[in-house]
Amino acid sequence: MSLPTKRSATATTSSSSASATANFPPMKKAKSQAVSACSPLDPSCNKNGIHHFSSAATADNDVVFDPSSMTLDDDPKLQDRSPPAAANLSRKKATPPQPAKKLVIKLVKAKPTLPANFEEDTWAKLQSAIKAIFLKQPDSCDLEKLYQAVNDLCLHKMGSNLYQRIEKECESHIYAVLQSLVGQSPDLVVFLSLVERCWQDLCDQMLMIRGIALYLDRTYVKQTPNVRSLWDMGLQLFRKHLALSPEVEHKTVTGIYAESFERPFLDCTSEFYAAEGMKYMQHSDVPDYLKHVEIRLHEEHERCLLYLDASTRKPLIATAERQLLERHISAILDKGFMMLMDGHRIADLKRMYSLFLRVNALESLRQALSSYIRRTGQGIVMDDEKDKDMVSSLLEFKASLDTIWEESFSKNEAFCNTIKDAFEHLINLRQNRPAELIAKFLDEKLRAGNKGTSEEELEGTLDKVLVLFRFIQGKDVFEAFYKKDLAKRLLLGKSASIDAEKSMISKLKTECGSQFTNKLEGMFKDIELSKEINESFKQSSQARTKLPSGIEMSVHVLTTGYWPTYPPMDVRLPHELNVYQDIFKEFYLSKYSGRRLMWQNSLGHCVLKAEFPKGKKELAVSLFQTVVLMLFNDAQKLSFQDIKDATGIEDKELRRTLQSLACGKVRVLRKVNAIQMKETVEENTSTTERVFQDRQYQVDAAIVRIMKTRKVLSHTLLITELFQQLKFPIKPADLKKRIESLIDREYLERDKNNPQIYNYLA
Amino acid sequence: MRRSAARKSGQSNSIAPITSSAADLFRSASSKASSKEMERIDNLFYSYANISSGLIDPEGIENLCSDMEVDHTDVRILMLAWKMKAEKQGYFTLEEWRRGLKALRADTVNKLKKALPELEKEVKRPSNFVDFYAYSFRYCLTEEKQKSIDIESICQLLDLVLGSHFRAQVDYFIEYLKIQNDYKVINMDQWMGFYHFCTEISFSDLSNYDPELAWPLILDNFVEWMQEKRT
Repeated sequence: MSLPTKRSATATTSSSSASATANFPPMKKAKSQAVSACSPLDPSCNKNGIHHFSSAATADNDVVFDPSSMTLDDDPKLQDRSPPAAANLSRKKATPPQPAKKLVIKLVKAKPTLPANFEEDTWAKLQSAIKAIFLKQPDSCDLEKLYQAVNDLCLHKMGSNLYQRIEKECESHIYAVLQSLVGQSPDLVVFLSLVERCWQDLCDQMLMIRGIALYLDRTYVKQTPNVRSLWDMGLQLFRKHLALSPEVEHKTVTGIYAESFERPFLDCTSEFYAAEGMKYMQHSDVPDYLKHVEIRLHEEHERCLLYLDASTRKPLIATAERQLLERHISAILDKGFMMLMDGHRIADLKRMYSLFLRVNALESLRQALSSYIRRTGQGIVMDDEKDKDMVSSLLEFKASLDTIWEESFSKNEAFCNTIKDAFEHLINLRQNRPAELIAKFLDEKLRAGNKGTSEEELEGTLDKVLVLFRFIQGKDVFEAFYKKDLAKRLLLGKSASIDAEKSMISKLKTECGSQFTNKLEGMFKDIELSKEINESFKQSSQARTKLPSGIEMSVHVLTTGYWPTYPPMDVRLPHELNVYQDIFKEFYLSKYSGRRLMWQNSLGHCVLKAEFPKGKKELAVSLFQTVVLMLFNDAQKLSFQDIKDATGIEDKELRRTLQSLACGKVRVLRKVNAIQMKETVEENTSTTERVFQDRQYQVDAAIVRIMKTRKVLSHTLLITELFQQLKFPIKPADLKKRIESLIDREYLERDKNNPQIYNYLA
Repeated sequence: MRRSAARKSGQSNSIAPITSSAADLFRSASSKASSKEMERIDNLFYSYANISSGLIDPEGIENLCSDMEVDHTDVRILMLAWKMKAEKQGYFTLEEWRRGLKALRADTVNKLKKALPELEKEVKRPSNFVDFYAYSFRYCLTEEKQKSIDIESICQLLDLVLGSHFRAQVDYFIEYLKIQNDYKVINMDQWMGFYHFCTEISFSDLSNYDPELAWPLILDNFVEWMQEKRT
């Protein structure tokens, strides 16, 4: 729909086109008022169009030109001529004036006053003119005069009255026009053309009126606030009366607009965007497409504001959204979601979120997020070869997801839950390994030698790792590894900071309860207690009198239940060490009776002072290594068997010890024969196995406990109870295995009448 | 006197001399219940029994079988053992012999042979069959404290005991048992479980099998294997 254009003022000269043009004498070009205003004020103004200057405006010099006292040119040629329409006094005459008559300048004493009823009379002229315009009739008054009339009224400060009168007059006509439409033509198309004609007429009429009252527009209207220009006034009146006439409005707007215009418009829009959507989806990548959609929606919105009815806005936007977005949701997600997530494209994701929000497609987005996290996470977790980076990769991944959630997904709660669920799923895809790796990761962080990590950074890392830990289902695996590593750190004095260690323990306590951390705390207590014991040992009489010289020894006394179990390893210690151990044992048992001390040789470590050809060196070595090395005090070469016999160290352990001495970076021994070595992967697998064994015992114990209480219980109920009681993940098949084992061992039996029921066998 | 009377009844087999202790038992036991039938039953016993052990041993049983014209691996011998409530596989004691033959009202080999079809019917009655089925498992536990039977023997036993009733189930299960690695032996619980499986679960669609119920794990695995086989 095009805007109605304002007809230009020059249209009046080509009077043939407009039916609304009033029949006026051809309007003269409007000149500046100072020059050629024909003022009805001046009685000397004659109708022949000779203009005179009005002296009324400049009241000071009351000078009147008396044309009768002026002699006109006697030139016969001139006399024949009819006086020109726009005579200009500045036109020079051919002959100078005869001195016959005198030019008399009289000074009028009184100020010229307005004639009575000036306003009413002037207005009457204007009113009839306006009427004529609206009724498309001829008017006797020419435009110039009307123009002047307006001028005069304005100059005499009657502008506001004039405005109001004009408004009133226009209103009554507009009202009449619109009323005339009522009851006309039920056919909407015909009706619409009638309305259009009225509209066009109005435009022309208002233009004309405006032309006449131009002075008013430019002075009074401009100077007075809150007063509309005449044109706007006309429009507003039209609108007002259109609204007041419901039938007309209804037929125009609802009838025609909705059906004849709006619907096809929406259909076209729909088609257009359908095609555009397809094309763009194929050619552009997702972020560009989304930007484009955003722009388009904005455009449509603007369009509505500019020239469409407000009621169209909703269906229009909805159409655009449907075609550009709704139809392509899955394509958009398939094509671009992963790329945007991988690339951490916050702004693009934010756009996607807000656009999807508009078309209620957040659920699809959420699902895409879920599968993305699971897929990517699975890649991280299941890749054997990247095990040592798994934890840091997972931490990075989680951090990135959290940022995206905060900034692009406006902290949507459902999305937060999705992230949590997906993480829980992926971290437990691979049984036990993530738990083990997390424990190892923590071990690295808590170990001494981590220069450059501030306390705050460390705390932050611990907290983030704890978040991962929360997702793990088999927490007892983690506990076993953590305990093992903690023991090593404590015993070998490798903790970076006891505060950090304790902080970690308290975090675990908050997370899993004190039962989880009891033993760990016990380990700390043991270490501190050991320090005290060592102190008092040194002070004791036994120490001072009986200890062999040349060695310093300190002992950690560990409470069995707290620490991981270490397989007892025998070894033949050098004599001095044996003496020392005995003396300490004597001291300890004198202090704490009723206890049993068992030496854990595998845990001992020593600092040896050795003399090498190149000089003295200090070696920090394990007890076993010490024992082996001490043998070489007496011999240059020793065979494997010799060493084995002399030290009494078990085969596997001996091989490991020798390898570390002879094959490591710092070689203390030269090996003559190659020895087969095995990895200490065994250590890790045995820890895991121990956890599984432990779990089996726990299951058995739980079954017996439950059956003992209930005496008789159905299979399904037993399984349910077990799942409630057991804190680690376990498959129903494994539970069945344990039940069958217990049946075999005659703890329970199947009921003779109903094999689904178990009886407890006391 | 009685001895000669026993001899006169004309056994086709050689009559083993009765040991003095056995004779004493015989005299004291039969002092009150002295039916001719019991005499004949006893005599029949001794005609197959091993002299030194006083029991019918596997060799004796084999002789009995050939006299009855029944293969010694035939299920009916097992049924006979069940009827006798014989405890040890391959051996019959006098008491067991008496119990069985008296119940079957057989005092000659011929009568015994004729009693077999009736015995079969009796065993197949549902109320008895469970008992027989359980009995057959226990009968194979040869060692003291033995609780399970090896796969090979189980397969044979299944075929023997259930083959005629549940041919399809038995065939498939035997196939599965030979393939799987989870179990090297079968215990009583699993044995009985299989019987319930045969009577309750529709075969071979297995539509009403629910692994969440208390079925022994080996049957869960079997069903899974069956379903995989089908696809």
